[in-house]
Order: sequence, then C-alpha cells, then structure tokens
Amino acid sequence: MIDQLLVEPFRSPYMQRALIEAVLLGVFGGVLGVYVVLRRLAFISEALTHTVFPGIAVAFLLDASLYLGAFAAGALSAVLLTVLTLNRRVNDDAALAVLLTTFFSVGVVVVSRSTSFTADLTALLFGRILAISTGDIIQTAITMLVVLVVLALMHKELILRAFAPESARAMGYRTDVMDLALNLLITLFVVAAVKAVGTVLVIALVITPAATAQLLGRSIRSMMAISVVVGVLSGWIGLVLSYRASVDHDLRLASGATIVLIMTVLFVVAFAARKLLDLRRTRVGAG
Amino acid sequence: MLVLDDVAVRFGGTDALDGIGATVSAGESVALIGPNGAGKSTLLRAILGLVPLARGSIEVLGRPPQEARRSVAYVPQAESLDPEFPVSVAQVVLMGRYRSIGWIRRPGRADRDAAAAALHRVGLSDRADDRFGTLSGGQRQRVLIARAVAQASRLLLLDEPFNGVDAVTQKLLLEVLGELRADGAAVVISTHDLTVAHLACSEACLLNRHQIAYGPVADTLSPPLLQQAYGARALVLAGDEAVVVTPS
Amino acid sequence: MDWLTEPFGSDLMQRALLEAVLAGALCGAVGVHVVLRRLSFFTMALTHATFPGVVIAALLGVSLFFGTAAFGVVVVLAVVVLSRRRGLDSSTATGVVLAGGFALGVVLISSQQGFTRDVTAFLVGSILTVEPGDVVVTAGATVVVIGLLVVLHKELVLAAFDPAAFEALGYPVVVLDIVLLLAIEITVVTSIPAMGTILAVALIVAPASAARLWTERVGTAMGLASGIGAACGVIGLWVSHRFDVAAGASIALVAAGAFALAWLTTPAIGLLHRLRRGATSDAPLSSEGQPVA
Repeated sequence: MIDQLLVEPFRSPYMQRALIEAVLLGVFGGVLGVYVVLRRLAFISEALTHTVFPGIAVAFLLDASLYLGAFAAGALSAVLLTVLTLNRRVNDDAALAVLLTTFFSVGVVVVSRSTSFTADLTALLFGRILAISTGDIIQTAITMLVVLVVLALMHKELILRAFAPESARAMGYRTDVMDLALNLLITLFVVAAVKAVGTVLVIALVITPAATAQLLGRSIRSMMAISVVVGVLSGWIGLVLSYRASVDHDLRLASGATIVLIMTVLFVVAFAARKLLDLRRTRVGAG
Repeated sequence: MLVLDDVAVRFGGTDALDGIGATVSAGESVALIGPNGAGKSTLLRAILGLVPLARGSIEVLGRPPQEARRSVAYVPQAESLDPEFPVSVAQVVLMGRYRSIGWIRRPGRADRDAAAAALHRVGLSDRADDRFGTLSGGQRQRVLIARAVAQASRLLLLDEPFNGVDAVTQKLLLEVLGELRADGAAVVISTHDLTVAHLACSEACLLNRHQIAYGPVADTLSPPLLQQAYGARALVLAGDEAVVVTPS
Repeated sequence: MDWLTEPFGSDLMQRALLEAVLAGALCGAVGVHVVLRRLSFFTMALTHATFPGVVIAALLGVSLFFGTAAFGVVVVLAVVVLSRRRGLDSSTATGVVLAGGFALGVVLISSQQGFTRDVTAFLVGSILTVEPGDVVVTAGATVVVIGLLVVLHKELVLAAFDPAAFEALGYPVVVLDIVLLLAIEITVVTSIPAMGTILAVALIVAPASAARLWTERVGTAMGLASGIGAACGVIGLWVSHRFDVAAGASIALVAAGAFALAWLTTPAIGLLHRLRRGATSDAPLSSEGQPVA
C-alpha cells in the first residue's frame, strides 16, 4: 500500500521532478495565498495569470526564455493593474476584466500566427508538470525563496494594509507601493507556476488552499499552516492519482488539473465540515 | 401603526435584541437610541420582517411585517449607496413609486408629478437631472427622504438620517418630518444623536441589546438611564441637565 | 470600397457576421448590468467553469449549448451558496469555483484521445464555423434576454442601486438576482461558440464599460453598449479576415479599443479632459470639503 502510494509512482526521474515541483508550488502558493485571500485579491490574481500569456507566447515564438517573457508581460500588467485600481472612477472589477482579456487576446493573436497553433496553445493553457526539468525546479525554488523572504519582511505591514487600509494610510504607509509590491509577488508566482499547471489553473494554487484555510483557521499563523498542508497534500495526491489511473486503468488524467481538482475537493470538505460545526454550535447555543 | 410586543432576536445563539415593547401611533415619532452594536439596525430590519423573531410579535399597520413591507418607507444611510451609479436625482425619487406602479408597467404622469412634488419639498427641484452621486452628503440624504415622501407611506423607518449632514439639511429634514407627522404618518428614527432625538421625536426607545426604557423623550433620555445604556461612556455634567456621550 | 466589403463575400463570412452582430448586441446590453453590479469576475467564472459541460455534452453527443447551459446553472448555485457564508469573501468563492470547474473540464478532456482541436475552439472561439442553427439560437437568446431586461428594467436598476431599500420594499430579492444571473448565463453560453470561454467576458464587459463612461442613464447605456458590441463584432471580424488572426481575439481587442477610447474622451473623467484642465486639484468637492472619490 505504502509502496504504491509513496515509492512506486516516484521511481522515474520525471515523476520525482514533478513531485518536487508540486511540493514547492504547494508551499509557495499556500503562503502567498493567505495574503491574497485576506486582501480579497482573487480577481487581481486571476487577471495576472492571464496577462503573462502574451509574454509567454512571444517568447515561445522567438525561442527566448519563457520565464523572462512571462515576467516582462506580468510586471507590465502588475503596474497597469495597480494604477487602474488606484483610480476609483473606473469600476475596478470591469477595468480588470478588460485588461485581462486584452492581454490574453494579444497572446492568442500572436499564437494564431504560428503554424502549430493548437498544440502550442494547449501546452501554454494547460501546462505540463510531467515535463518539468531540473532547471525549472531550480528557478521555482529561487523565485519562491525571494518571494517568501520579501513576504516575511513585509508581513506586519501587509496584514495591517489588509485589515485596516485607512489606518495604514493614516500612519504614513505608501499603500500604493505596497499594493504594487504584492501584485509583483503574485506575478512571480504565476511565472514560476505557469509551466507546470498552465495559465488558467494557476489561480487555484493561490486561492483554493488559502480559502480552505480561511474556513478552518483561527489565526493568520494557523491559516498559513493549513494552506501549506492543503497545497502540498493536493500536489502529492493529485500526482499519485493521475499516475495510478494511467498505470492501473489506462486512464489518462492531466496531472496539473487533477491536483487542482483535489484542492477543490478538500475545499468542499472543509466547507461542509465548517457548516456542520456551525449548525451544531447554533443548536447548542439555542438549547 | 406599529406595535412591538416583547420582541427578541437571536443570532447564532446570542441575544441580539431582547424585551423590546412599544406602541407607535399616527403622528408620533420614535427615536431608537443606543451605542454602536446596540441592535438599532437589527430592530429596523425586524420591523421590516427581514430577520426572524425568537420571541414576541410585531404588527405593522395592522398586519404582519412581511405583508406590510410594500407600504413602509425605509430610508437607508446615504453613504451606503454607490456615488458612481448612473441614476439621476429624479429617478431616485421616482423609485419610491415603483411598488405602486407594479412590475412591467412604466411610471406614468401621476407618478412623475408625485416625485417632482416630493423633490420640491426637500428643496432640490433644480438638481432633478443631475446624477445622484454629484450631490453633497446632506443633499443625497434629502433625496432619499424625498423618495420616502413620494412613496406616500404611513410609516417611515430612517437609519441614522442625520449622520454627517450639514445644518441646512438637518433643519430641512426636521421640517419635512414634522409635516409628515402632521399629515398622520408615524416615524421611527435610529440615531445616536441625543439633540436630534429631542428635536425630531416625541418618544424614545433606549436600548443596548435589551430595552432599557421606552416613553416620552424627556423622561427616557434622563442621565441615569443613559448611563445604564452607555455605561462609562456617558458623562453626566453639572447636575442633571447635560449629558455627554463620548464616541466609542 | 471593395477592400472593405470583400471579406464578407462568402456565405460563411456572412453567417459569422450575423452571429457577431447578434452576440455583440446581446453581450452589450447584459454587460451594463454586469458592470453596474460588479459581476465581471462572476461572469469570468461562469465562462470557465461551464467547461466541463461542454466536454460532457461532446462525449454524450448532445448539443454543446445544452451542456454548457446545464452546467452553468450548477455554477450559479455554487457561487451563491459559497458566498452566503460569512467570513468567505465572494471573490474568493468565485475564484475557487472558477478554477475547480475548469480543472474538472481539463481532467475530463485529458482522459479522451484526440480532443484537442475542439478544446481550442471552445477556449478561444471559432466564429467562422458557426452553423445556421447556432445563429438561430443566438437570435432567440438575444430576443428573450433583451426582452427580459426591458420588462424588468426599473426593478433591476433599483435592486442594483439600493439593495437595502429594494429588500425593505418587499421585492423578491433572491428571485430577481437569480433571474439576472440566468440572463448572464444564457448570454455567456450563447457567445462561447463564437468568442470562446476566455474572451466572451471581453465582449460583455468592455462595450458596457465604455457606454457607462459616455452616458449617465442606464437605459441609454444599454442601447449604446448593444451598438458598440455589434460594431466590435463587425470590425473585429473584418480585422481578423484582413490580417489572418484569430477572430475571437480580434473582436476582444476591438472591444478593448472602444473602452480605451471612452476612457480617454469622457468629459470630466477622461484623460484628455484632465490633461486639458491641468494637474490642479479640481476634483469636485463634497459638502464636507473632501474631494469626491
């Protein structure tokens, strides 16, 4: 049993690399997600996952580093997003949607000029965690280290900004600079994760574990712990599940999407558990 | 008009409101007074039939609250509305008539006239075509009162109507409310401003989760009772007359 | 004029043109309500999370329209149930549903061989392959949804502007919300074959945002947005044919262009206006002396 779940699926080097990448992204997304969820930035994160797309597309066509292309497009959009959301006159939510689809369209137009349109697009949109190289893992690890250090340094300010934006401004903090910094950190995560799970599903790695943690956790520290555990656990279960399905039942399941699906299942279980706990407490309180 | 009998509301096992009893007749005006979190908004929602009662009963215009809702005018706080929303001042006032116009049908001549008259009553006829959000805070509050007037309701519920309004607006609102009461309407105002309670209301309901006192304003808002409601934050100055409630 | 009309010479292109105009008009009108209620992210989630519906419909051999529509109802309910929980922000709930639904679609599709081409069509749209049947469905949806919005106009505006008063007046709040969400769902489902999952949102949000900048009346904005949406469809299609790029993406880019134009030119809000007035602090002041944000 243990052999089938822990050892055997990870005999081959590509599965080992996938596991390392999944664990790294689980920790990385789990920690970052807590800040994102507390700031209610789900939509901004979603926008950033799509805006890196044209960068990847151009880099892909020019045979340049995907990493660099993604980061260039991501950083540009992070700046634009911060500026747009500072301007209260345009409805944030609509402005984000327009920006997101605009960047994404540019990506699609660029890719649609290429001859291998369909194959390229699917690779970019869905990601390939099983094709992760050692170089990719090192890039992810370094990016994660940088982001986590910055988050640790800004921790108390980011929490203050999330909890009481007016007080943060009154105390003289440059909240616009802090917003830009957080958006850039999210961009870095998207860039690191996009190759493994693809443009559309990156959002899940940030939001879903942290949302699960929000349902169960009582403090920021416990939220972070739960979020990381959910992220890592989903990565491992997802990989094993897609491996077993392929080996035992000849059923091919996309690994990245399976990981996300496991996260969603854990979230739903947490939601139901929370609901039951609340119901019982109400009944005890009322009785 | 409005009868509250031993009303209690519970949220998740704790008491949000308890032991509220009051009878409001035509032409009367009641101030709901209490610190933040005392349950003033909850009580307004209970009168609208929007929260279930744990105990007691409420009768609005002789009917259960749910059935009476369309005949009650509720005035929210002006700050709760999106200033960028594309509606004109005239349109906002006309909204008071929607329930009597009914689904699908469009507002007619009579509705437009009623809305125009209501807007005139709060002195903002010249701003009818401006966007709601371009008005000042006090003017927005006046428009919302005009909407209640246009609704021609016999019971008005106002949520903190004097919060952050200028002196002109306050005077005008007091006049309009006085006229409505003279016409036979009953008014319930939630507020934490004791001066306003004295100026605008005949009765007061002092509450902090449970009802502390109910009766004529002068009797209810006495220093000992206020101290009971506000605790240490009510300072009694110079004998019995002046009471200062420090903000929470 | 030949270079202008030439792209629309074939039957295929004329059908695509009709589809683009209808979808543009429908998306524009519904979009005004999406923008007023800040439902862009929800709409986005709807387009992504209906993905499994498409896959299941294709596997079972039933109509894609039916598959997405059925799955869309599930998504609407999931977001409503999840966001009703205190302590769980509705945008977080929306994000979870979006990603979870899309992942389910990807997993389903990965288990099937040789399905990639259809997926791409679904994701980025394929307006050039619309069937006459699709156009009829779009026309029907346009009539039904716009009719619904016109009939419920005053209640929808009141509910969006002042939800507390709307509830206090005893209107059936939940019923009206669900009717609006279903109208959005029908719109999304109808425009997906032409625009694709990801870009349908562009045609819903961008023309409506542009119209909102240009007018202060909801009714006028809906008419204007419909017009802009239809125009974006025509121009986008023309650009796509002329420069041989993906049609859905061209339409989305033209729509974004319309929004940018509105943003630059709107009196009192637009960038040009602000530049002309200079960088003085000229924001209108409220009675408390604070600049109106």
